[in-house]
Amino acid sequence: MIKITNLEKFYRTEEVETIALNKLTMEVNTGEFVAIMGPSGCGKSTLLNILGMLDDPDEGSYVFNGIEVAHFNERKRADLRKHNIGFVFQSFNLIDELTVFENVELPLIYTGVTASERVKRVEEVLDKMQIMHRRNHYPQQLSGGQQQRVAIARAVVNKPKLILADEPTGNLDSSNGNDVMELLTDLNEQGTTIIMVTHSEHDARYSHRIIRLLDGQTVMENIMV
Amino acid sequence: MLKSFIKATFRSLTKNKAYSFLNIFGLAIGIACASLIFLWVENEVNYDSTHLKKDRIYLARENQKYDTYIFTHSSTPGVMGPAIQAELPGIANTCRSNEGTESLLFGAGDKPVFANGKYVEPSFFSIFTLPFVQGNPATAFKQLRSVVITQKTAKKFFGNEKNVLGKSIRVDNKQDYIVTGVLKDIPANSTIQFEWLMPFQIYWDKSPWLKSWGNNSLSTFIELKPGINPETLNKQLYGFIQKREPSSLGRVFLFSMNDWHLYDDFKDGFKTGGGQIEYVKLFTVIAWIILFIACINFMNLATARSEKRAREVGVRKVLGAGKGSLAMQFIGEAVFMSVMAAFFAVIIIALVLPAFNTLVQKQLVAGFDNPYHIIGLVAITLTCGLIAGSYPSLYLSSFNPVAVLKGLKLKDSGAAYIRKGLVVMQFTASVILIISTIIVYQQIQHVKSRQLGFNKDKLLEISLQGDMAKNFNAIKLDLLNTGYIQSVALSDHEIIYGGNNTSGLTWDGKPPGSEVLISQRYITPDFFDATGLKLIDGRNLTAMDTNSKPIAMIITQSMAKLMGKGSAVGKRVHGERDTTSAVVVGVVNDYVYGNMYGKPDPVMFFSTDPVHTTMMYVRIKAQKGIESSLTAVQDVLKRDNPAYPFNYRFVDDQFNQMFQSEMLVSRLSRVFSALAIIISCLGLFGLAAYTAERRVKEIGIRKVLGASVSGLAGLLSKDFLQLVIISCVIAFPVAYWVMQGWLKGYQYHIEIHWWVFLVSGLAAMFIAVATISFQAIKAALSNPVKSLRSE
Repeated sequence: MIKITNLEKFYRTEEVETIALNKLTMEVNTGEFVAIMGPSGCGKSTLLNILGMLDDPDEGSYVFNGIEVAHFNERKRADLRKHNIGFVFQSFNLIDELTVFENVELPLIYTGVTASERVKRVEEVLDKMQIMHRRNHYPQQLSGGQQQRVAIARAVVNKPKLILADEPTGNLDSSNGNDVMELLTDLNEQGTTIIMVTHSEHDARYSHRIIRLLDGQTVMENIMV
Repeated sequence: MLKSFIKATFRSLTKNKAYSFLNIFGLAIGIACASLIFLWVENEVNYDSTHLKKDRIYLARENQKYDTYIFTHSSTPGVMGPAIQAELPGIANTCRSNEGTESLLFGAGDKPVFANGKYVEPSFFSIFTLPFVQGNPATAFKQLRSVVITQKTAKKFFGNEKNVLGKSIRVDNKQDYIVTGVLKDIPANSTIQFEWLMPFQIYWDKSPWLKSWGNNSLSTFIELKPGINPETLNKQLYGFIQKREPSSLGRVFLFSMNDWHLYDDFKDGFKTGGGQIEYVKLFTVIAWIILFIACINFMNLATARSEKRAREVGVRKVLGAGKGSLAMQFIGEAVFMSVMAAFFAVIIIALVLPAFNTLVQKQLVAGFDNPYHIIGLVAITLTCGLIAGSYPSLYLSSFNPVAVLKGLKLKDSGAAYIRKGLVVMQFTASVILIISTIIVYQQIQHVKSRQLGFNKDKLLEISLQGDMAKNFNAIKLDLLNTGYIQSVALSDHEIIYGGNNTSGLTWDGKPPGSEVLISQRYITPDFFDATGLKLIDGRNLTAMDTNSKPIAMIITQSMAKLMGKGSAVGKRVHGERDTTSAVVVGVVNDYVYGNMYGKPDPVMFFSTDPVHTTMMYVRIKAQKGIESSLTAVQDVLKRDNPAYPFNYRFVDDQFNQMFQSEMLVSRLSRVFSALAIIISCLGLFGLAAYTAERRVKEIGIRKVLGASVSGLAGLLSKDFLQLVIISCVIAFPVAYWVMQGWLKGYQYHIEIHWWVFLVSGLAAMFIAVATISFQAIKAALSNPVKSLRSE
């Protein structure tokens, strides 16, 4: 599904040039659950942003489902993204002004799904995430665990082929964290490819494969059994 | 998608109440203010539009060339109308009438009332669009003693009586007239105004001088046939009078009804393109400036609080929103706010329209059922929304989702500069308005306190009615005997306005070919005492001078100067075309009449019999009260002239009335500069709040390190104060240039003083500091522990 070759990304300030990704090469197959680990500043988030087409690389190739996307313009990337990729963030990133239902509905609106179909699909996913009873609440009225469920519901409502999770349990206690990991595992078992950035060895054990980064390069790959 | 936007917008509005209030309230004031101005502009631009033949109607005007200038008159010879209609092809119709209106006393019921009207030819009804409610144009002037009145006049004369056709009404206590028609009321924005119309023949019969080609004292209206070019006709009109009267200076040309109200300004015989249109343009510009100031508030507050919106933008982008759809969302928000503002603006308009009408002295109606007004309001609202939403939408939708979701501090410098630039624009406009307001006020005060050469205070002007002229000596004696009155005199013209003038005079030493326009006034000997003109050479006129040969006259200083060096007393003036001869017996000081901004023009005074005058001037003693003196005068006139109601004017009131346009500008500029400042300050208030919020951590740290409240408040205010100072630097030269141009339009005007700029600048700064300081002090007083913990 994903094949990146010699990917490079630099950050420049007036005086310093920082290399975030240094000729990184990796591959992720459809249906895989991959964890990316490494110390702060190793390039995990940069990689995730490029994989999610939120950011573009400076050099190298990124092939997504057989299409070279490294130099797509913003509109093309947005189009590919909204149909194929769901995001889960550490800080949930729900919109405060919208209710649970409306937050989850948002990706469907951007992909042009009809209103009646939207209601059906949002209710379906809220039900699955067991937060149907909270559908008319606003994010700030929910606990952290509940907010992350909503965020995951939003990530999957469009039935994406790939979910990118950036430390999804980082802001949660261990019990809520485990629930979230169970949810992601279920999704993976139903066929969704998942790439997750995490600091937690515990969470990483849910994945099939751990890629460890250091200074923008792969230093080790562990295959989980 | 739309529903989601509206929902998010509405919730964001209710969540940030203060922000929403500042935006919507500011925009509402802006929209209301602009709408009111546009109502006024609509009224001005639509002047005379009820007349269907407007495009083909002209007033014949005349250019007369004098030594130093060309004067454009609006009156023409009384015999010209029928002559041009008979001789010149292309003219469909002409109509003669007396210039302006005449006031007559009408006695319908028990109470006689004065009403102003015109003598017109029957063609008047076909040239102008004047629908008859009763009677018809064909029969209206069949008989000589007939009168056509408006609905309002009918009510004034006959009360609530429905059918007034055929009713008899006594005019000036002498002659009975039959009402032969009732016209629909004339709209207020029509140049032609009257309460009654009578057959022109009546005026013709009582004015023998009209028959001469050398006398210009009538209005001649001309209707062209369709498709006729007025320029072709102007060529034929140019020498028309000279063929009959070679010595006439009058060169006739057509003045289109389309220009009567807005472009009625002539210089050296040509339209200047100015007139009332200048005020229309000025206020249109001001309306847009005020709207723009309100839009700037929106832009500034929207970008200033962008950090709060950044995460939403990021999330939406991650979820697939394109830049375009986000930009649309933010423009949509602005339009939505603008619609809400328009809703409040409508309420504001409904509430303040009566006050605005008083201000502009019109009867404007909001007319929310008028489709043009609705379209106008919608257009203003959408324009506002688009302008206000344009920049924020571009700015917000361009956020990089990676950066904003990471919670990185946004690089705000570009937006901050634009924000500062916009604040500078707001305050520049406000400071210019403040300066202009002060200068307009000063100029009006300057002219109002001008030494006119005569004393306009406590001077009563009474039109002669009934037997007042005949019984003048008795009335004068009775008035003086009341003890309230210092002197009483008669004149054939109102002292404050222009009047009859002539150029057909010559004297020893007058340069050959020189043409000078000299006014002539017929008075009784006490005139100078009553009006306060001072005799500076020679003697006063006496009753004996009335029929003296040669005619004795008193001239003003400027005329004495024209007549050469040395005392003018004893010098003679002759008519150029007749044997009339007059000798100067005295000289009085110059006085200003007609144009209060102009220089005093030369005048000759002749003694006359009371029956040839029209005005009585009554000078109230300096130490006597106005009210009691008026009662005393009224008692005398009631006794000596019982058939007529007491009708008077104060000359200083008439004087004040001559500044209506300037007073309007003065009043409006005061209101608009106040509004501009208020709207600007609303924005500044919001901006200061966000700045304080942004710098809350810095303030906390500074406080912990020992900064004082006043020091911190100063720190926060400093940046804004700099902007106001920059605004002043830009505004001063612009205001100077604009106002210098305005003042140039007046011969008698003030010089612009430097302190006006200083005062305006300080006022703007003071208002800005007062606005900011609330936020600054609030921020400085906050507990640093809270702000540091919240990080």
